[in-house]
Amino acid sequence: MKNNTRERSSLQRSTVLCCAAILTLLAAWCPAEDVHAGVSLGELPQTWHDDRARDLALSTLVGHRVVVTMAYATCHRLCPMTIDEFKRMQSVVDARGETVDFVIVGYDPKNDTPAVWHQYRLSRGLNRDNWHFLSGSQAATRQLARQLGFPFWIYDEHVMHESRAVIFDASGVQRAVLDSQNSRWSDAL
Amino acid sequence: MLNKLLISARALALGVVLSTASLPAAADSVSDAKLEELQKKLDQSMKMIEALGARVKELEAHTSTGTVAAAAAPAAAPAAAVDPQRLEAVEQKVAQIETANATRQSDDSGLPIHGFADVNTGNYNLYFPYFKGTNVGSLDLYLTPKIGDSVVTLAELIFETGPDGQVGTDLERFQIGYQFNDQATVWVGRFHTPYGYVNTALHHGVWLADALRRPKFVNFEDKGGVMPAHTTGVWVTGAMREDNGKFLYDFYTGNGQHIQGGIVDMQNGGNLHGAAMFGSRLSYQFIGGAADGLLVGVNGFTDKVDDDNPINPALMRLNMAGAYAVYDTDTWEHIIEAYAFRDKDLNGAPGTHRSEAWFAQFAYRARWGVPYIRYERAMLDQTDPYFNEQTFGASYYRSALGVRFDINAKSSIKFEVAHTRNTDRPSTDYRPSDAEIGLPQQFNEILAQYAVRF
Repeated sequence: MKNNTRERSSLQRSTVLCCAAILTLLAAWCPAEDVHAGVSLGELPQTWHDDRARDLALSTLVGHRVVVTMAYATCHRLCPMTIDEFKRMQSVVDARGETVDFVIVGYDPKNDTPAVWHQYRLSRGLNRDNWHFLSGSQAATRQLARQLGFPFWIYDEHVMHESRAVIFDASGVQRAVLDSQNSRWSDAL
Repeated sequence: MLNKLLISARALALGVVLSTASLPAAADSVSDAKLEELQKKLDQSMKMIEALGARVKELEAHTSTGTVAAAAAPAAAPAAAVDPQRLEAVEQKVAQIETANATRQSDDSGLPIHGFADVNTGNYNLYFPYFKGTNVGSLDLYLTPKIGDSVVTLAELIFETGPDGQVGTDLERFQIGYQFNDQATVWVGRFHTPYGYVNTALHHGVWLADALRRPKFVNFEDKGGVMPAHTTGVWVTGAMREDNGKFLYDFYTGNGQHIQGGIVDMQNGGNLHGAAMFGSRLSYQFIGGAADGLLVGVNGFTDKVDDDNPINPALMRLNMAGAYAVYDTDTWEHIIEAYAFRDKDLNGAPGTHRSEAWFAQFAYRARWGVPYIRYERAMLDQTDPYFNEQTFGASYYRSALGVRFDINAKSSIKFEVAHTRNTDRPSTDYRPSDAEIGLPQQFNEILAQYAVRF
């Protein structure tokens, strides 16, 4: 009887694991949006360079709220509007006496180099230490874009993308997404 | 109890199969190779469930006869030996699936298709003013199949309305190249001729440009342009970066063009006269500092062009030199391009034909939209066969005022009012049906365009 009980338990475990495998397969079929639901900062690619070519791992920003977006340096349409929105967020956060890190990851590593980002922030007066303009490898850039739901494609020297930002709380967990459907960030911050 | 679990597992698996069959939208986003891989894994999981089900039935049968205890003990031993392996295998597969899911699409197999589309309306066709009313515009499919890390490919296939008012297909760009590094990429195929700014920065995707249309003389050959906007040949391009900017260079050679039916043809299959076109462009882009956003450059080409005149075919040496400047920032987009032509008629009278063309466009990028103003002027020697034989080779000037509104990140509406005057041709146009229809000497246009990207 004890042997039968043990067998039944192991069979139950096997069945549950098979169901888990099927559910995971099902998840693999689902639209990309399900991939990035609830991702944390620590689960994102960690190897980035800031505009001074210093290494920066996203996990080191845990402890503050973090707002992440993607942009490219020669974008003159959507990206400036996103940056302006970040500036407004900064003003609100400053008024509260709080700290938030703003992270802008370059879509196009070939052109969005640390030197280019450095000139970008200088020319726009974005010189605060809590603003991070990052460059990474092609693979890391695409993985971060996929994990956070930033669809994009490259048309020669142009990057076709949408307006989006992801807010992480102080423990590095994704808390809100800002896009064309939802642009209210006051509650999330 | 166990039977119930197995029934549930089978039902769930069946549900997976049915739901995957009804997920065309999701399946669309997964390559066929991945589809096949996931199908295999599903099949393996189904087999495992069946095996477990059989084992449960066996155990239940032995339990009900009450005589299995001894038989089950030796039978259990092999099962105990197998199950940990199965569990480990399932756990490994789950881990692999999770990893593959997280890094899905990191391998670049598959062929993403993106593109642009536009429709236009107004009192005239925006390219062919002998037509009036609404114009289907174009459907531009842009493909960049991933072949490897350094092999680059690009194809731009367009369905568009031509000078005859019919919708046709054109492989506007088809390039295969090798990217050595940022300093050098070699392309072979059909590409946009590297001159000026507009011809290589604003391609066929109409949505991309702030203005409703290109300046007339630098438009594409089958849209009223008089320059060889496409070249079929070899192109070497690259950039050399420094702290405050980058040098950009282009060197290219390609098939000398041919004028067919009044339109410059880039000879995709080679030309008959065997002569090549050679050209280059050098520019500098300022990054940072007071001149941030400024791009300046010079360009030139020499080309040999023949025509389709069966009785007295012409052969022309086309020599062009030009310069351009662009100021492109978050607030302004100003473009100035100027060209000088010094052509020789190799089959005709000696001497040099001199022509010039230029345009200046100024645009302001406001949050609500992008208003722009443009002036174009082309002074084209009509004794030069290269311009004389082209349907749209008349000298002209055009003043235009327009605005772009973005409806969302992927669609825009543009409006333009323009005045155009042809200054040296009373009437010239030849449709494929040979019915002679005059181009208006001067005309005012009110145009609207709905452009999208996808």
